[in-house]
Amino acid sequence: MKTILLHLKNNPLAILGIMILFLWIFAALFGPALLSYNYTEMDMEHQMTTPGEYGHLLGTDALGRDVFARIIYGSRSILTVALMTSLVSSIVGILIGFTAGYFGSLVDTFFLRAMDILMAIPPLVLSMVVLGILGDSSFLSLTLIVSIAFTPATARVARGALLSCKGSEYVDAARIRGESHFIIMFVEILPNTIGPIIVEITARFAYSIMMIASLGFLGVGLQPPTPDWGMMVIENKSIIRAASWTVLYPSLAIASLVIAVSLFSDFVSKVMIHEK
Amino acid sequence: MNLFKRFSQRLGFMILTLVVMSFLIFLLVEIMPGDVAQTVLGQSATPESLAALRESMGLNDPLMVRYGHWAGKFIRGDLGESLYMRGIQINTIFWRKVGHSIILALTALIFYVPLSLFFGVFAGVKAGKLPDSIISFFGLATMALPEFVSGIILITLFAIKIPLLPITSIIPIGETLWENLNILILPALSITLVMFGYVSRMQRSSMLTVMNSDYIRAAILKGMPRGYVIFRHALKNALLPTITIIGMNMGWLFGGLIVVETLFGFPGLGSLTLSAIKTRDVPLLEASVLFITFIFVVSTFITDMMYLFLNPRIRFKGSDS
Amino acid sequence: MKNKSILEIKNLDVEYSTLTDKVVALKDINITVEEGESLGIIGESGCGKSTLSYAIMDYLPSNGLSNGKILFKGENLLEKSPKEQTKYRGDRIAMVYQNPYSSLNPSLTIGFQLDEVTMFHRGFSRKEARNASIEALKDLYLGDAAGIVRRYPHQISGGMQQRICIAMALLCKPDLLILDEPTTALDVTTEVVILDIISELKKKYNMSLIYISHDIGVINKVSDRIAVMYRGEVVETGSQHTIYKHPEHPYTRALINCMPRSGIVKEEVRLNAIPGYVAKRSAAETGCPFVSRCEKKTLICQENYGLKESKANHFSSCSRAYAEDVPDKERTRLKIPLENNVKEENILSIKDLYKYYGGPGKKVRALDGVSVSLERNSVLGVVGESGCGKSTMGLTVSGLLKPTKGQLIFDGIDIAVSWRKRTPEILKNIQLIFQNPGRSLNPSFTIETIIGRPMKKLLGIKSKTERRKMVIDILKKVDLGEEYLSRKASQLSGGEMQRVALARAFSISPDLLVCDEPTSALDVSVQASVLNLLGELQQESKASYIFISHDLNVINYISDYIMVMYLGRICEYGRKDEVVGPPYHPYTEALISAVPDVDPDSAKQQIRLEGSPPNPTKKIKGCPFEGRCHKKIGKICETTAPPKVYFSDDHFVFCHLSPGKLGAK
Repeated sequence: MKTILLHLKNNPLAILGIMILFLWIFAALFGPALLSYNYTEMDMEHQMTTPGEYGHLLGTDALGRDVFARIIYGSRSILTVALMTSLVSSIVGILIGFTAGYFGSLVDTFFLRAMDILMAIPPLVLSMVVLGILGDSSFLSLTLIVSIAFTPATARVARGALLSCKGSEYVDAARIRGESHFIIMFVEILPNTIGPIIVEITARFAYSIMMIASLGFLGVGLQPPTPDWGMMVIENKSIIRAASWTVLYPSLAIASLVIAVSLFSDFVSKVMIHEK
Repeated sequence: MNLFKRFSQRLGFMILTLVVMSFLIFLLVEIMPGDVAQTVLGQSATPESLAALRESMGLNDPLMVRYGHWAGKFIRGDLGESLYMRGIQINTIFWRKVGHSIILALTALIFYVPLSLFFGVFAGVKAGKLPDSIISFFGLATMALPEFVSGIILITLFAIKIPLLPITSIIPIGETLWENLNILILPALSITLVMFGYVSRMQRSSMLTVMNSDYIRAAILKGMPRGYVIFRHALKNALLPTITIIGMNMGWLFGGLIVVETLFGFPGLGSLTLSAIKTRDVPLLEASVLFITFIFVVSTFITDMMYLFLNPRIRFKGSDS
Repeated sequence: MKNKSILEIKNLDVEYSTLTDKVVALKDINITVEEGESLGIIGESGCGKSTLSYAIMDYLPSNGLSNGKILFKGENLLEKSPKEQTKYRGDRIAMVYQNPYSSLNPSLTIGFQLDEVTMFHRGFSRKEARNASIEALKDLYLGDAAGIVRRYPHQISGGMQQRICIAMALLCKPDLLILDEPTTALDVTTEVVILDIISELKKKYNMSLIYISHDIGVINKVSDRIAVMYRGEVVETGSQHTIYKHPEHPYTRALINCMPRSGIVKEEVRLNAIPGYVAKRSAAETGCPFVSRCEKKTLICQENYGLKESKANHFSSCSRAYAEDVPDKERTRLKIPLENNVKEENILSIKDLYKYYGGPGKKVRALDGVSVSLERNSVLGVVGESGCGKSTMGLTVSGLLKPTKGQLIFDGIDIAVSWRKRTPEILKNIQLIFQNPGRSLNPSFTIETIIGRPMKKLLGIKSKTERRKMVIDILKKVDLGEEYLSRKASQLSGGEMQRVALARAFSISPDLLVCDEPTSALDVSVQASVLNLLGELQQESKASYIFISHDLNVINYISDYIMVMYLGRICEYGRKDEVVGPPYHPYTEALISAVPDVDPDSAKQQIRLEGSPPNPTKKIKGCPFEGRCHKKIGKICETTAPPKVYFSDDHFVFCHLSPGKLGAK
């Protein structure tokens, strides 16, 4: 704990990242309650209002909806889905990667080849195609599909983390004590791989935000009326010249969140490497 | 011998990947909700005409037969007929758009590869100093941004605030891409930003690893000048992994194209794929996704071979290892 | 009449600043190296030996700060600009490192890496440089020099790589050559060849040497004068004879006394262990660095110390402790009663054991037909160089590897299967001690859990309080207190970790303990206490050991029987005294002669083995040692497998030579 604080002291960017991240979490939790506008409410008198006018902090879009309110509401969905996907894909990745790495030989070869094949299609394309084919995305389908698309990557990380411990003599010691595979994998090895796994989960969180925003932008993410940052950008792209704020602010929201998470994840990996 | 074995192994795997992926893509489209015949004929179609179309399209055949039929046509270069744009052979529109995308990807490549390698090496050499912090932060930030976000920022800066470049990258009817090269710049830059972050950070860390290695220490303590050590001793070992990463990420680049092309309305493979999904144009979707896979597999294969060739540890087998 | 000095280090301090605090790596170092002189620096790991060599090269990590003067021919190296530094490095001062493989650039040919040295420092043309490189390689007795320059580092063996690194350092005929543990990563038979070459070239070029090692035997071979370092300070310097015969500093004495060496066996003496371990030194610490481990300490140690000349050319930072003491090393040793060794039944019989790795065509024969028996209540030492199959043998006995064929009869049952197919009873009775204690204890668990787990699993003790009681008991036996229960492995020193590993093994009273290089990762001062403990535990528990080590001195100390292995086969087996004395197998003879002696005055006959062991994937028809043997007869050694010749009931060798030729009287 003390060393973490010391690391923080030497890393002002990490402090900035963590602060922005907390700000967004706060906004997602309490923001909606503090807003004077609803995200679907259309201010018919003031369409495409410039930021700051008529009580619209960041202006309104072509339908007169408050951009600020939509951004605040949008933070809820993106944070939840991204958190869920990073957790789900990491857990599934650990299960698959650990099994493959632990048993080695044929199981491992099969796993590696299968992952190589799945990786031949970029995760974004895979999610886009599947979500597009399934039609209207729900919270659940979005989380599941993105998690599956990420699993080859997380499984590889988990496998690597396991392999770095598997050769350790304490694993051999457990074997010749007659411990079961399950105990060796999840009681002996797992606690020692927690460092790289935490690093992976935080990095995956940043990727998830990127991915979910992009899917929203491509129109295969969460469906209206749920406000989605990516969707807000593409919806208003045609009026970018007349009302650039309708596009720019959601973009900046994504940028600030994703950079904050990346800074945080970068910091976590530095601390973890140092701990080693 | 060693090389040849690896070559044939890789080649075999490449073909396997394509076969498995094509089957998966075929399966995926199969489960698409809705009836293809209905999509083609519209809501007012009679049951008889639907049945007749299904029969003529071979939709009643068993799955494997249809897959074989489809794959066979593919191998012969027949991509089929578009469902949405009735009567249009996919071949007639597909390759022109693929060409556009490849030009866009190459333009981006020309921007980001030298930039990110240079700054990555520079940051690695200056590790811990101010230039490194700036480059690393910039890389972290650009890498994290989805392509459309950096695109929007670029548009705001270079198309709205300073009206230098077009907001959209549409080719006017009757003209070709070559007459509108300026439309490439902003999309290519958006890709460059993302890839710059990724590649420069990779390059930095591989440079750092090499600079901290025993053999670099040995070279410096042999009295070799620092610049010489960096260029002659460090660079080759430090570039090799990054070049591999660039090659392996060609597929990823094509994924990013979908977003960029959609943002700028660029007529390429990416926007074609998205519209195939939106219009439920099955043959077009299959062709596009399979082609993206193909690009990935081929670039991975080429990189792998290049790596084998450049790495003396593999090229010359050890006498006692 | 003093010679001109090449290097003078004056009041050198080096500090490393870490995130949390400052660590002292070197403190007030004063060293002089004269022209043509060779200075050996000895110390355990973490004593600052390597930091000193990099400080001389002015190449410290970015968090290291040096202070003081390093005068090379009168000029202070620490004040040179980067450009001036390149003129010294590699030209006037050259360095050779511990790990030759990682010190050579993997993507450049050996020739390129050699040529550039003279091209830069001498302005040679490509052709001149290449000729110089080939000449330098010939200096090091590298046969096919013209062929080697075209190869890449990974294509040649470790011993050759180190010769290339030495050739590279010598290209410009430097005034000072720094060798940082250059033979530590190599086998003894390779080491002895390299040490000979170094001494020879030193004379030839009249170079000054700084030779750094943790092994006093190695230092003795190459140095005129020795400096002993402890926790960043030079505590004693003097001629090698003085240091060995009349050491003054308590640390020097302790260090020399704790080393196993020829003639020292467990039946007669206990090794002198130094309590505690080498701790990191904080900037605030004052006084003698050894004070916490010293048995002669008094109040004065905190303030009054510092290197003083006690006799001519003999400096020590503690001349007080042994001032009135007779410097008798033997006196400080404890005698332990000799046990009457009665012949006992066999606990383990290994019959024709084979273990192959890898697939067809590339089959590595790690064990190639080994048959040996182990008596109850005895220690079998297995010795050999890396790749001889000794570890594989340990792993098959412990069940981590399943043998390819052959039998392992343990207590009447064939256990030539993997651990998965062994009964809990057998798992309990065969325990394994690993080389690296840090890796054999799970870093996530407390010591209590680590030691308690086998009790729960293999003895079926369910009650936590009962287990705790037993854990405390066993910890006491390995000299660790109750306070260790809640600690984790990362909070312990190497020696403490190995004690915990021993406690874990003995907590379930096994019949057989396989020790795979249990002290190789430890410092000598700690090794002694672990060896003593192993000896005590063996006597007390009457368990048998298979003790595997590359260090013949350690094997000689602890074993009752010794087995010498080469390339997966047995060369010689017998009672300890029978194996280490003639008649012996030529390989045993070479191995014994190669072991560097702690006593600089011992004159041992030297046998130089050429080359390295043959490729283990090749099928060997004759004797595996034939290619390097100094007593090879002829064709018969290549074509016919050597017969098993008995010298006594339990002493045999595999050799074609007659016993007389093998040194029998």
